[in-house]
This record gives sequence, structure tokens and C-alpha cells, in this order.
Amino acid sequence: MTMKMKMQRTVTGLSLSPSVKVKLVSAGFQFTADLLNLKPLQLSKEAGLSQQEALEVLQAARTDGDRAGAGLTALELLQQEDDIRSIVTFCSQLDTVLGGGLPVGKITEVCGAPGVGKTQLCLQLAVDVQVPPCFGGIGGQVIYIDTEGSFLVQRVVDVATAVVRHCSQLVEDDEQQIAMTAFTVESILSNIFLVRCHDYVELLAELHLLLDFLSNHPKVRLLVIDSVAFPFRQFDNLSQRSRLLNGIAQQLITLATKHCISVVITNQMTTRLRGGQSQLVPALGESWGHAPTIRLHLYWEKSQRLATIFKSPGHMDTTVQYQITSDGFRDVELAATKETGSNCC
Amino acid sequence: MATRLLKRTGISNEISDRLKRQQIESCKDLLSLTPIEVMHAAGLSYQQMSVLLQTVSKAVAPPVTTALDLWKQNSDSCFSTSFPALDKLLRGGLPCRTITEVTGPSGCGKTQMCLMLSVVATMPKSEGGLDSSVIYIDTESAFSAERLVEIAQSRFPEYFSCKERVLQMARRVILFRELTCDDVVRRLERLEEDIISTSAGLIILDSVASVVRKEFDTTLPGILMHRSNLLTHEASILKYLAHQFNIPVVLTNQITTHFGDQESPSSAEVDSGCVTAALGNTWSHSVNTRLIVQYVNAHQRQILIAKSSVAPFAVLNYTIQKQGICIDENDSQETLYQGTDPGLQPIKVRTGFTYRPVD
Repeated sequence: MTMKMKMQRTVTGLSLSPSVKVKLVSAGFQFTADLLNLKPLQLSKEAGLSQQEALEVLQAARTDGDRAGAGLTALELLQQEDDIRSIVTFCSQLDTVLGGGLPVGKITEVCGAPGVGKTQLCLQLAVDVQVPPCFGGIGGQVIYIDTEGSFLVQRVVDVATAVVRHCSQLVEDDEQQIAMTAFTVESILSNIFLVRCHDYVELLAELHLLLDFLSNHPKVRLLVIDSVAFPFRQFDNLSQRSRLLNGIAQQLITLATKHCISVVITNQMTTRLRGGQSQLVPALGESWGHAPTIRLHLYWEKSQRLATIFKSPGHMDTTVQYQITSDGFRDVELAATKETGSNCC
Repeated sequence: MATRLLKRTGISNEISDRLKRQQIESCKDLLSLTPIEVMHAAGLSYQQMSVLLQTVSKAVAPPVTTALDLWKQNSDSCFSTSFPALDKLLRGGLPCRTITEVTGPSGCGKTQMCLMLSVVATMPKSEGGLDSSVIYIDTESAFSAERLVEIAQSRFPEYFSCKERVLQMARRVILFRELTCDDVVRRLERLEEDIISTSAGLIILDSVASVVRKEFDTTLPGILMHRSNLLTHEASILKYLAHQFNIPVVLTNQITTHFGDQESPSSAEVDSGCVTAALGNTWSHSVNTRLIVQYVNAHQRQILIAKSSVAPFAVLNYTIQKQGICIDENDSQETLYQGTDPGLQPIKVRTGFTYRPVD
């Protein structure tokens, strides 16, 4: 039934150039089904297309049909998701409520007030994703798109040093011993690919190139965009902005699922006035909220830092406390923190 | 880069002419379209359109580097403030390529800080400076050349003992006085040329708040958004320049009274609200490092590190002397404090004026 429906798709719906479509329709080709049993030369004569164009038409019509056949059962999906590990945050409470860390193949948004630790979490993840598999990590690389200029390499060195130290304390067998020789601060830095985008056009361009980049770097398991909000904060034309954002959301979903990477984006908070009362909400508007699978809100309560998962298909609305130490993003050990005070973002 | 014309990106003339007829001339125009719109406008199939977008994107997209390369490139990526205690906390000083904000009540020492940093930047590298010029954008007419020289001579008496050096220092501080928002923005947009021609190593904007707060009446509807658009524009220019030239940017901000949200329980205790950094939440996102200067009592003041990627929350005591800001290095053991939201960090202002009798 679905097969038949698909075959009824019109020729004009195919991804072809307008002039080709016009020729097809005027030659009497209405549905993709009309094209399927043709050979390129015949089509080129009938519709007055070049041979090259005719071939493209047939390929477009065929992939359209093929796609209808491809489907997945929930069981297959379950097995696929089982193979995929998560990226740990090094804050065990947050990992627990996220079900083991940030999922690969999904988009996670981190929003929060300035200085609460969004960038710190991103830097932490950029290091964590590289933890070798024998330590329970996924040993991947990372592409980090910095739009705010907040990527400080000194800070990455701090975080990386702490993670390397942590892993070296866990070494038990030979495999881990060998893995540690390759897991150094230098190797961690060399596996972070950094792009500094200054405006939204550069960001859009970079996203167009990412598919190729990921094909050439198959070990990349994490894409960070810190932040997606800043380049879009100076827009007068709001409808154009939300169109561009929708396009970005779609591209990110494709990247995440096709290349099996975890996408982490940060968003700012903005003040919205509602009935004379001001309220802090994530920036970029309501429709953007559909893009991420998981939304994490980081905020201050007095001098405590809290993280709440406020959108997620699998997890309840939960809040955990965390802190930023000189080593990075960490759990709060209840007794210790009272004296020393939490360190800065 | 975004305004780069399509015909210079290496796409065929036929396509660029066709796009031009539809007012799509720059990479920005093209990349702002959806793929379907591009197919229509250029008359291309999906595959051809993908190739076109790739070509154009390659012309615009910034290069990919690894963090390791970055680490090797700039081992000395900090601008020393010349205060050992502050430098130590900030891991060497104000980070280059980023924006540092100094905020605080009036008369607390923000401009003094800017003048002092200007002096340090002009000094040779052997003395801890940057050996470069300084671009000083003054929006409050608060800059005083006399004070600049005084700070230089009292703070670094040995180096500035010879008059020629003082003159050279003064020559290297390039002042722009911009008193309206439009002027500031226009100056920032042209700053690239000024940085190249003067080979500046430090940009100071004192203050970002005054003109904005003078010209925007935030009680009017819609103005707030307009204001934050303008501020984000300024921030993105400054960030761009800081990154491209690998230099630090320092700006000052004012303070405002923040009234707690109705829901928050703390507002019941503080009925008059508390004083925090001005310009709001969106602006706070834009600054990479925030230093707060505040009063302790009539003479004693403090610097707080309220937002930083590398430093912990910390407090340093200082006084204003003839040589400008003077951090008491002896009692400045790193005093950590319980930090909070840098946008809502309460700032102590001067309460009551007590003058010492002249005797």
C-alpha cells in the first residue's frame, strides 16, 4: 500500500532543476512510476533532455522508490542504540539522571545564565569523549565550533590533565596500560578540531561542510556548538531567523543520526516580559525548542549550581547539583564544598 | 568574509550571473536561503545545488585547527596586568582574544584601571608590557592625559625617569572620543584599519554602558530588544578583532539596581533590590571575563573575579593611590568567596561619605 502511494509521487516533487521538470511534464511524465521502466537514451529522446539530464532524472526517481522500502523496526533500533555508548560528564549524578551520560546520535542543548558553566561543560565533554574504550569511554574525536570566542586552550589543558590523571589511577590490566601511553594531554588536544565562526554566515557555511569533514574524520563522535545563540542574537528579521534556525536544526539531526555523533549546543537565556513580569527563558524562540532531544538547564540558586533536565524522552524532570572545580565539571561532595566555596566557571 | 561576492568564490559565471539577476550577490545572500530556494533561483538539480553550496561554503568557512596547534602557537597568550596577585589568579593576566569587562560603581577605579593597563601595554616586553600602541575609546570624556602620565611616573618610577620614555608612552596611547552610540559603532566598524595602522596591542572601551544607557529609554516597549541587538553587534565586532589580531579587549560597564523576581524567596528580605552589573543578561553572556570593583569602606576597595574561564571566584583588596590602583600584595592571599551568577553578583557601593578632616 505504501509502495503504491509512493509511486504516485509527482515528477515535480523530485529534486531536479526546474527546467528539467518543465520538460518532463510537457512530455507527459506525471508520476515517478511513469519513469521507472525507461532507459536513459529513450527518456532523453522522449523528453528532449540531454543524456546526462536523463540519467539524473532516472536516478532521482529510483532513489525515491528505494527510500520507500527502507524502514526500521523498533527492535532493530533498540539493538542499534544498545551498541552506542554515551559520553560521561564526570558528574556522576548528572550521568545517572541522563542514563549514563550524553547519548550519541542525539542533540543535547545546554542553556543557562552567563558564567554558570555551559562552556565548562562543553570543554569537559570534548575531553571526556576521548576516554579510551577500555576505561568505559568511546575514544572519539571532537569538532568544536566556537562562536563566542570562549574556547580557552589553557582551560582544556587543565581539564585534560585531570582526566588523564583520573584514568591513570584506574589502570588495572595491560590493555589499559597500553591505552594510557596514547592517552596524553597532547593527544587529547590534537583530537579537538576547532573552528572559530564569527557570524551566522560562517556558521551556516561550516555546517554545510561538516558532512564532508565527518566522512574524512570518521572517529569524530562529538560536535559542540558554543553557542548557537550568539550569532543569532542580532537579527531584526525574526521570521528569517527562525527559518535559518530550522534549517540548522535539520542539518544537525542529519549529522547526529547519519554519522552517529553526539551534538551538544549551548543556548543563552533571555528575558521575556509577560504581563509586566520578567522571566528568564532560553533564547531563540519557541520553535527552536523542538530541535534538541534533550534540554539541560544550568542555573544558580544563591551560590549553588544546579542542572535540570527539562526536556527528554527518557528521563523525568530531575535536578542535580554540580560544581566547577579547577579540574572541571564535577559532583558536589556535600561536606567538602561548604568550606572551600565553589570555584568559578 | 560573509559579504564576499559569489563571483569570486569560483562558481561558474553563468550561475553567478543568474543569481545576481535575483539580487543574490554575496555568499551571505546565498547561504541564507533554503536548499529548495537555491535550486529554484539557480535552476539546478539537488546534486548540483549541493555542489554549489559546498563551493560557496568553502569560500566562507573559517579554517579548522586543532587545539594542540593553538596551544603551541600562543604560549604567551596573556596580557599581564602588572599585579602579581591578580595575574596569578587569572593564570598570567587578561587572556588575549577575549573580552574582559571591569564593572563597578562610579569613582571606584574603573578608569584608573584602564589608564594603568594602557601604560603597561606601551612598555617593552622586557618590562612586562606588550610593546605596542593602545586604542582607547572614551565615551565619558573621563580620559585624562595628565593622570596617565602621573600613573606612569608613580607606578614605574625607574622606567619612566627619562622624559623621552614618557612622551613615547603618551604618543602610543591613541584616544578616540565618541559620545553617541552611532559614533561608537562607526568607530568600532572602522577599528580594523586603526589597529593595523597603529599596530595596537590593546583595545579599551571606557565605557560601553554610558552612551547606551543615555540613549535608550528602556521603559518604552521594544527598546530593550533594540538595545541588546546593538550591544551584541558591538560585542561581535570586538570579539572578531580580538581573535583576528590576537589581542585583549578591555571594557568598562556601570551598575544598576536589580529587583528580584517575584517568585524568588530572597526578594522578601531585600526589599530595595540589590546593585548588580548593568546592561542585562544578554550582555553578560558576551563578556568572557568579568571583574567587579567595589567599595568596602571609604578608602578600602576590592576587585572580585566574578566570571572567568580559568580563575576561581576570588577577592583582592586595593586602594587608589597616586600610582593608580594599588593592590596590597602582602595580605592578598587568594581569598575565595562563594560565587554566584555573575549577572546578579551584588556590588557594594559607597554608603555615606566620610571625609577625613584636614589637619
